[in-house]
Amino acid sequence: MQLRYVFTELRSGLRRNLSMHLAVVLTLFVSLTLAGCGLLLQRQADKTAETLGNELQILVNLCVADDPSESPNCSAGEVTKPQLQEIERALNDSPEVDSFEFQTKEEGYEKAKEIYSPEVFEGSDPVITVDDWPAQYWVTLKDPKEADGVISAVSGLDGVSGIKDQREALSQIFGIMTALKYGSWVGAGFLLFAALLLVANTIRLAAMARRREIGIMRLVGASTLYIALPFLLEALVTAAIGVGLTAGALAAFMHWGIGGLEGTIQFLPWIDWTDYVESLIGLVPPGIALIGPALTLIPTLLLTRKYIKV
Amino acid sequence: MIRFEKVTKNYPGPGKPALDQVTVDIDKGEFVYLVGQSGSGKSTALRLVLRELRPTSGRVYVAGKEINRMAGWKVPRLRRQVGTVFQDFRLLPNKTVTENVAFALQVIGKSRREINKVVPETLEVVGLKDKATRMPDELSGGEQQRVAIARAFVNRPMILIADEPTGNLDPQTSVGIMNLLEEINQRGTTVVMATHDHGLVDQFRKRVVELDHGRVVRDEAAGSYGFQH
Repeated sequence: MQLRYVFTELRSGLRRNLSMHLAVVLTLFVSLTLAGCGLLLQRQADKTAETLGNELQILVNLCVADDPSESPNCSAGEVTKPQLQEIERALNDSPEVDSFEFQTKEEGYEKAKEIYSPEVFEGSDPVITVDDWPAQYWVTLKDPKEADGVISAVSGLDGVSGIKDQREALSQIFGIMTALKYGSWVGAGFLLFAALLLVANTIRLAAMARRREIGIMRLVGASTLYIALPFLLEALVTAAIGVGLTAGALAAFMHWGIGGLEGTIQFLPWIDWTDYVESLIGLVPPGIALIGPALTLIPTLLLTRKYIKV
Repeated sequence: MIRFEKVTKNYPGPGKPALDQVTVDIDKGEFVYLVGQSGSGKSTALRLVLRELRPTSGRVYVAGKEINRMAGWKVPRLRRQVGTVFQDFRLLPNKTVTENVAFALQVIGKSRREINKVVPETLEVVGLKDKATRMPDELSGGEQQRVAIARAFVNRPMILIADEPTGNLDPQTSVGIMNLLEEINQRGTTVVMATHDHGLVDQFRKRVVELDHGRVVRDEAAGSYGFQH
């Protein structure tokens, strides 16, 4: 296939419809940035829930050796198997409990590393060791407002050093994150729709401008792909620019936005650059680098079939 | 080379069919005039050969293949074997004569070397070797039609379809175009030409197929334009 023609057409197509292409790029850029923020917030919420539990959960801290709580329940030292069985029975019996999971002290210690600064884990006599970290039951409630029964049932049991109930604080945090996330997605949705319409219009204009060429190409037997290729490449170029700008904006958000928050709010585990990369090129949920081209290529494929039907 | 078998074509809406049970057989190397009044079905017949349309019933064969059942992706290959010329030339105004002719080869993926060889040869056949670098608006109507014929012929198609190729030209220029189509026909290409031009049909005697309200009313070897008109 001779691609010289295709690239000449691509260049002249981009130039001819410059204002339309700019409109597509800018709309894509803003909408993808909002969508990307939504994806990052989703990851932030997941990460927070993973480390601190969600607003439906309470954490049952179990005794460690030399428990700092000095609770009478910990007089026997580190929690024992029979004690665990007793606690699990109480949890199973409670009508307020939906489900619960056991988290070993090692797992808790690994999560703690994500929140606290590394110095506290280092050195010959670190501030926090594995043995300082309590094993926990992560208890998911049926109703976030109803926990009194299970708290009273469990808190007096041997082996329970205390109950960590962050439902109120977490529900505020999750409330903000959810609102921001859905806000971003709704905004992104509207703008992505606008982007779709713009792409459709651009193709219609381009097909009109090139209808004579297209007519001749059909007559002399050019394949549909060959006729559609300049349109598809135009769509791809605008998408690539849109995605590139979005990647930059999200990187700025990570650097200054999340970077700044990390300094001020330290008790939350913050998303990092791995999450950024996942939001860009992830498959499930689709990242920005997939959404962008899909948004321009799908309408282009559909419309070129309509306008340049062989 | 082209065969219509009881071909009927209805367009949407009320009215008589554009083609009604048409059966015509055109052999390889023939030169056939398709004559008839406006609306008699000439253009419909030509568009069926190009698979721009599909018949409502009946079968159309081109080069031995039944093209109304042909898969969509094979249609471009069919059209590479059928050159087309129109009354309004349909040249690209921003390309030179050479570029216009070369365009037909570029878009079907021919190599640059082949294009550089075949395009000048074809321009020589149509007598425009000296005007290769001119733009279409610098050419007369007859010359523009020669460029269009060069473009249709450059890929050496088996069939050349001409829809009123002399409709916009004066009689003298039309004779020149006819001579050219005849020469192309003598090189082995089957030519089907829809026309209203009495003078040409009577002067260059060929097979005449006359359509009237979508029906073949006359099919005559070396016929005249006809006495009804």
